[in-house]
Amino acid sequence: MGAAIKSEFRKFFTTRLWWGMAIGIFVSAALFSGFFGWALTSDDITADQTGVEGSATQIVNSVYTGGLSVGYLLMLTVGIMQIGSEYRHKTITSTFLSTPKRVTAMFAKIVALLGIGAVYGLISLLGSVSVGAMVLSLRDIDPFPSTEVLRTLALSLLALGLWALIGLGVGILIPNQVAAILVGVGVAWIIEPLLGFGLSFVDALQGVVPYLPSQATNAMVNGVTQSGVEVKPLSWWAAALVLAAYAAALSAFGTWRTVRQDIS
Amino acid sequence: MTTAQTTTSTRGARIEARDLTKTFGAFKAVDTLSFEVEPGRITGFLGPNGAGKTTTLRMLLGLIHPTAGSATIDGQKYHDLDHPQSIVGSALEATNFHPGRSGRDHLRVLAAAGGLPDSRVDELLELTGIPAAARKRAGEYSMGMRQRLGLAAALLGDPRVLILDEPSNGLDPEGIRWLRGFLRHLSNEGKTILVSSHLLQEVEQTVDDVVIIANGRMVRSGAMSELRGAPSTIVRTSDPAQLAGALRVADVLAQPGDDGELIVETTDKRLVGDVALRAGLPIWELRDRKADLEALFFELTEGTNRNLGDGNAVPTATAPTTHAPHETDAISGQEGANE
Ligand SMILES: Nc1ncnc2c1ncn2[C@@H]1O[C@H](COP(=O)(O)OP(=O)(O)O)[C@@H](O)[C@H]1O
Ligand SMILES: [Mg+2]
Repeated sequence: MGAAIKSEFRKFFTTRLWWGMAIGIFVSAALFSGFFGWALTSDDITADQTGVEGSATQIVNSVYTGGLSVGYLLMLTVGIMQIGSEYRHKTITSTFLSTPKRVTAMFAKIVALLGIGAVYGLISLLGSVSVGAMVLSLRDIDPFPSTEVLRTLALSLLALGLWALIGLGVGILIPNQVAAILVGVGVAWIIEPLLGFGLSFVDALQGVVPYLPSQATNAMVNGVTQSGVEVKPLSWWAAALVLAAYAAALSAFGTWRTVRQDIS
Repeated sequence: MTTAQTTTSTRGARIEARDLTKTFGAFKAVDTLSFEVEPGRITGFLGPNGAGKTTTLRMLLGLIHPTAGSATIDGQKYHDLDHPQSIVGSALEATNFHPGRSGRDHLRVLAAAGGLPDSRVDELLELTGIPAAARKRAGEYSMGMRQRLGLAAALLGDPRVLILDEPSNGLDPEGIRWLRGFLRHLSNEGKTILVSSHLLQEVEQTVDDVVIIANGRMVRSGAMSELRGAPSTIVRTSDPAQLAGALRVADVLAQPGDDGELIVETTDKRLVGDVALRAGLPIWELRDRKADLEALFFELTEGTNRNLGDGNAVPTATAPTTHAPHETDAISGQEGANE
């Protein structure tokens, strides 16, 4: 098991993908937290005009996790590619030759992706906290109003890892890597948020909105919310469980399917 | 397990396939195929393109689930091997590399999975003659370099069994020569080697045994020497019948061949020459008789190839999966194709 996990990490860190992603995640985290740090604390814009409401802690949370929605899309892509590139370049053959117990091989991928998610989470925090804290300090706002901020930072690492597992499942469900990335990112970035937006106007279906993956992700890090929206987000721990359930379901399905597959 | 492994690690292990069958939809790619590969020998796994070689090897290696039958290596299913890389090394296709990963890193990924040190990786790069290419991205490799990298990957765990799928594909003549010598060297170390090819000529100098399949079924298996037949000599003279009589007196059998040749069942050319001299017959030609393996292979396989187009009026074209007796009737020495 340990050997298979080590092999998965090596797989990831021996292609150029990893540092391209690292730059992408760092830059987006820095840019978004800089932008949110400036926008959410502007004196001349009152809460009423922006439609944003939240405590001091929630504002700081939002600043530090401003790049999270880009980050989780990138992690979704990383998850898809951890399996998709094995199908594409047929390296899945050597993976299962060196680790013939496929459940072990897949479990190693899952553990590695959680780890990779955490690594990227740290890179993203490096960008967002340094830039965000600087902007907040310039505005004379306490960059660490409560220890709850630390919880948010930790949960953002978890969220990234979980999105990578969702990607793993998507990558197995759609074995063509390019199609999987297009469909996965398209659904997660555009379709699912629109769906959530639409559903929030339907009384009978409003209740499911907080359980959508993007909503759960945002609830985990407990940022500011849009005022006037009726749907109440889940508490951070419930949201974390919901996102973990998506990740578990998709990666378990992927493992089951991979174990049965013929590799030819 | 570990102790058993260390005491036997230098010996080859036996590969056994029993009634292996694989159907893709309605298509029977491999049909009740049974064979054994003996420890410490090089066995050629032969058949024309589409015969089912790759499918069979992938079943041996647990990559394709057989529809029926089973395959074991050293008495165990591949799936159940605890340290597969130290038992079986395999190279299936020369394209199985991420183009953006260096050859060395590719091996390091596999070494990690097998718990092997990086020093082993460098050893193998040296042994397969590609140390200079090690840090180049695999996408830039030539076919020959990819074959060598595949071989290096197969040998990482110093396995007792080596399974290679068409390893000489894409190699230049120099590469093929190198491979031949390399396989001999590995076999002399006691490894069991199963090497597939769609050309008998390509492996005839390398292999000890052959397993020949066509249309997913066994058509012939046995030692290479059996396939070649007993060695004999061809002689041409003015009166073949008289020479045959003189040879019979010397206890050597001879039959008339084509075109006035006489086929003598011996390799002792000096004896043939002496007998002819004593009989007062001229010798116009005296040479070894080589079995025409190419023709034999063609006769065994191509005549019934299901993968050829309609132009080739093959009776099996409409019923590739039935046990049609005419497919194999003409073949001598057939084993295991029908129960
Ligand atoms: N995954 C698959 N699905 C359908 N047919 C297949 C599949 N794999 C192989 N085949 C067919 O099975 C036959 C045997 O293929 P293969 O084992 O690759 O032959 P060989 O390696 O001897 O050239 C071929 O006719 C091939 O088209
Ligand atoms: Mg093949």
